[in-house]
Amino acid sequence: MDSITSILAGTMRLTGPLAFSASGEYVAERGGTLNISLEGMMLSGAFFGIWASDIFNSSVAGLIGGMLAGLVVAIIHANMSHRLQANTFVVGLTLNILALGLTSYLLRVIEPRGVQADNIDIPLLHQIPLIGESLFSNRWPIYLLLIVAPLSWYMVNRTRWGLELRACGEDPGAADVTGIDVNKRRRQGLYWAGITTGLGGAYLSVAEVGLFNQNMTAGRGFLVNAAVIFGGWRLVPIIAGCFLFGGADALRLQLPALGYDIQPQLLIVAPFLLAILAMCFFAKRNVQPAGLAKPFERGVA
Amino acid sequence: MSDANPAITLTDEAGNGPRVAVKMRGIIKRYASVIACDQVDFEVRRGEIQGLLGQNGAGKSTLMKVLTGVITPDAGSIEIDGQQVVISSPQEAGALGIAMVHQHFSVIDALTVWENVTLGERTKLDKSGAVKAVKEISARYGLDIDPFATIGSLTAGQRQRVEIIKCLRRDPSILIFDEPTSVLTLAESEELFTTLRHVVTAENRAVVLISHKLDEILNATDYVTIMRNGVVVAEAKTSETDARGLAREMVGRDVSLRGEAVALGLMHAAEQTAVTDATFDAEELQARPIVLDINNATVTGRGGVKLLDDFSLEVHRGEIVGLAGVEGNGQATLEKLLMSLVPLSEGDVQVDGEKVKDGRPGSMGHAGVAVIPEDRHEAGCVLDMTVAENLVLDDLDRVSKGRLVSKQLIRENAQKLIKEYEIKTPSPDTPMRSLSGGNQQKVVLARELSRNPKVLVAAQPTHGLDVGAVEYMTNQLRAAAEAGVAVLLISTELEEILALSDRIAVINEGKLMGVVERNEADLETLGMMMGGQAL
Amino acid sequence: MTVDEPTTSEDLLPVVMGPKTGDTRAKGILINVALYAICMLGAVALASLLVILTTDASPFDVIHALYLGSLSEPAAIGRTVEQATPILIVATGLVVTSRAGVFSIGPEGQFLIGVVFTGMVIFKLGLPPVPAIVLGLIAGAVGGGLWAGIAAVLRYWRGVDVIISTLLLNFVAIEVLSFFLNKTWLLQEKVNKQVLPPQSPSLNESFRLPRITIGGFTTTSGIILALVLVALMAFLGMRTRWGFRSRMLGLNPNSAQAAGVSKVLVGGGSLVISGLFAGLAGGVWFTGVNPRVVLGSGGTMPGEGLLTALISRRNPIVIVPVALFFGALRAGGLRLAATGVPSNIVQIVQALVVLAALLPPAILHVAERRKAVKIAQRAAAAEIASQEKVEVAA
Repeated sequence: MDSITSILAGTMRLTGPLAFSASGEYVAERGGTLNISLEGMMLSGAFFGIWASDIFNSSVAGLIGGMLAGLVVAIIHANMSHRLQANTFVVGLTLNILALGLTSYLLRVIEPRGVQADNIDIPLLHQIPLIGESLFSNRWPIYLLLIVAPLSWYMVNRTRWGLELRACGEDPGAADVTGIDVNKRRRQGLYWAGITTGLGGAYLSVAEVGLFNQNMTAGRGFLVNAAVIFGGWRLVPIIAGCFLFGGADALRLQLPALGYDIQPQLLIVAPFLLAILAMCFFAKRNVQPAGLAKPFERGVA
Repeated sequence: MSDANPAITLTDEAGNGPRVAVKMRGIIKRYASVIACDQVDFEVRRGEIQGLLGQNGAGKSTLMKVLTGVITPDAGSIEIDGQQVVISSPQEAGALGIAMVHQHFSVIDALTVWENVTLGERTKLDKSGAVKAVKEISARYGLDIDPFATIGSLTAGQRQRVEIIKCLRRDPSILIFDEPTSVLTLAESEELFTTLRHVVTAENRAVVLISHKLDEILNATDYVTIMRNGVVVAEAKTSETDARGLAREMVGRDVSLRGEAVALGLMHAAEQTAVTDATFDAEELQARPIVLDINNATVTGRGGVKLLDDFSLEVHRGEIVGLAGVEGNGQATLEKLLMSLVPLSEGDVQVDGEKVKDGRPGSMGHAGVAVIPEDRHEAGCVLDMTVAENLVLDDLDRVSKGRLVSKQLIRENAQKLIKEYEIKTPSPDTPMRSLSGGNQQKVVLARELSRNPKVLVAAQPTHGLDVGAVEYMTNQLRAAAEAGVAVLLISTELEEILALSDRIAVINEGKLMGVVERNEADLETLGMMMGGQAL
Repeated sequence: MTVDEPTTSEDLLPVVMGPKTGDTRAKGILINVALYAICMLGAVALASLLVILTTDASPFDVIHALYLGSLSEPAAIGRTVEQATPILIVATGLVVTSRAGVFSIGPEGQFLIGVVFTGMVIFKLGLPPVPAIVLGLIAGAVGGGLWAGIAAVLRYWRGVDVIISTLLLNFVAIEVLSFFLNKTWLLQEKVNKQVLPPQSPSLNESFRLPRITIGGFTTTSGIILALVLVALMAFLGMRTRWGFRSRMLGLNPNSAQAAGVSKVLVGGGSLVISGLFAGLAGGVWFTGVNPRVVLGSGGTMPGEGLLTALISRRNPIVIVPVALFFGALRAGGLRLAATGVPSNIVQIVQALVVLAALLPPAILHVAERRKAVKIAQRAAAAEIASQEKVEVAA
């Protein structure tokens, strides 16, 4: 029983960064942008989160710092791709490289020591056998997800901004004719993805681990892209996908402790393999926003 | 309409007639060295439907773009309801009460009717309010539509209704309709004109109807302004004109209504053509061997929707079969099938008795099926390649020496075809992009015909072309048939179908509704089939 | 009757700014050069600022160190060319794929699998030097090709996006390498230690790619191979039917398919080809640059190959100088330790340079929009003019 609890607890913790980021990328992709700089946003959020928590001696400052870092990356990406019309994949890739280089560099030069967020035990609930500990005894920032995810959903589906965003994702030409500034909405979607992904990265470093390691996100940003596809661009299945990948990651950490002797490489690789399989067999491509990953410019076919 | 006096008179200024909603004076718009609008005066009065007639390229679209703020004119003035205005953006036009219902709709497939109607507004999202508005406008104008339906599931006629509702929601005082009937069945067109009439009279709005079809103008408008080469050549009260007169002003010379019925949008003239012009009689054609044989073809699309449903059609050697139907009923799928772009779920396609592997790239081409697609930019050519390269896209073996492609052979081939088909291009190495629409179409035609195909499929071949180019294309199609090619003409323009076909088939929702001989075809039967009633 | 003006957003380095309305060709080139100069200076300035703010060293120390490492003497130039060689090979393969319209981010994974395959052939088959190297390189190419093939199969069988699948496969490849380096019956070196380090034995001198001396500096002969491949790729791309079809596919997939181009064969084939090249680059790296397989072999090199290809996309000639530039940065980076500036500054500079290289075409493109509209209007005028001729003739 203990092992299940550990695995569940681990899942919760490792899903956190993915879920925060996925909430934002959900919004961005509904607007039609396919965003591969998530890794860079998350890594930046992780580093600058730790640094900020060090400077201001507060984990809250760390989370805010992470959000801002993610936002900065998003601002660069959005304006180069959806204002200046540079190829979004090139920009995204390059930003990832920049983030990796910069955070590794600064790590060596500054060596920040973070302030870790506290654990919270929700009274009573956390004593429920089996699931109590994993669901209700966590670092407090995870509960921000309860705001971020529903807020993202609400933004997309219940506001005029969201309606316009969805129009940009489905048929940018028609949206433009109706008077919507397509690229502006797309940029705004990206900004939100930057904020939430930065938060996800900061959560990983400030809340979970308590410090920053070089390249600590190790490809998790790309798992988020896979989760969005797996979830068919609907938020609940996307979050479910995040749990799936997070669970695989958790298993990796727990299995050796539980006495199972599995090749470590296999375990590390598990989330990625799972993501590939998920996209192969469970992705519903026909619900993809029709204008996804197609750059838009008025007057150019 | 009287044939006796074809002269057209100018309208007299009505002292106390309907109020003038729009008065455009002296509008000039130049593009590089060409004048699109040359001192154009245009007036629209409330309570009336004003027609704006002209060929493709006459300047009517440009004029309306000026009115809707998409283009700024180089000179001229605009008065709205007596007030001088400057319209420098679509938003400003909207604020003045000017709204346009576009030819290519601006509704979004994945969203619902009410979402589309409220898109573009600036207020807080109000679902119930929008739904209520849709229902209300629906009822008031007889534009029946379900507010919660997803646009993707609607027919073209229903989509246009959504477009109109979207327009009316803003309570415009001036509505502009750009070639509205190109996607409608005959019945739907009638309904539209009734709606327009209601909008105009009951509510004292002004409506502009842009068209290149004489029938439409004669049926639906009160007054008509005719443009040619950027200049207003005539204005008239519709009831005082007739087809011949309008045609003469539109084209600039006396016109044989029969011969150019296709280009002029003259249904009845087209109906009467070809019966007497038939060179082969029906029986003789049917006795010839079948070249293209489509058997029980079914193509399933996303979500299990049957884009082609048990569709069967035969085309004999030297025959022209016209496939009529309202846009969006499976023609595009059939075209793609014959271009090897989609696979069949059931059924087969045979050419000269041999089955062709569907969906395999180039298989139809190898079997001898040539296609002039509706959207040449999408699948007929490669815009970023040169003219010479576009003339050999599918037949690289012919211009290769060994394993390598020979630039010399490509050039020679290009020069030959450019001369033969009179393609206007500065050189064979000009990028395809720089050619005009008509010449691009010629390139596609030249390439396809140069392979000596057994079957020629022409989809909307004269779409967007001027009278001269239309004549050229129709002659080419006739010539191909005379040379023994089996021609399948897919078109939403009944005039085209009637003028060219030996037999006429109708497609509706992917199914074949029926096939009739040309001399037995009448508009009523065809209209019914296009509306969904099988023969 | 719309005319679509060419989208220049895809062209990162327009070869020549052709005559635009009103501008002369020379003026166009001048503006181009000026913009690039400004953007590059901006990138360098940012990097310098970073160095100043965070270390005791000055930017000039850094530049000096980079220069020392890459260009100051024949040995340094040799190192530059050596480092540029695998980059060049990777980039060449990627140009093939991008021409066909396929966007692959997989060279990192394919490179590593290539290293594994080459290592296995050379260490395990016990062949004499020459056949070992040749077979090893071929095996490396095959390995990379297979790895890319997985992504191709996923794409054309299950519709999985190439970008995402190649990205994820990169991470899988990292673990495959790790696996091989942790098993002595595979690639791991047997040494007398408690804990065996995850690395292969060092490659014997005779099994490495021969060194050659060109004009004063000595470097790996792999560069010859790389240059031959570039020339071959350029020639085949322009002159063969396959190259023509590939271009068609990249420019207009529908027209291509209608004309008989199989996107599975041509598109998938291009992807596999880029894998072959990346895998070969891995083999060349192992036998020609760094004769020991370790975790993180090659480091950022395949990524740099990708960036090189992206910057030079439409122009194979540009690949060579760009690859040399990245090679110089790498070679120079080896000398940075002495300055006290972390070597990551090289990565930072690379990224800033690429971003800077993206700006001029993007800025010009936005400014060109107005002129592009005029081109469309010209064609509209041509349409009207051709009608006029018909009218007159009628």
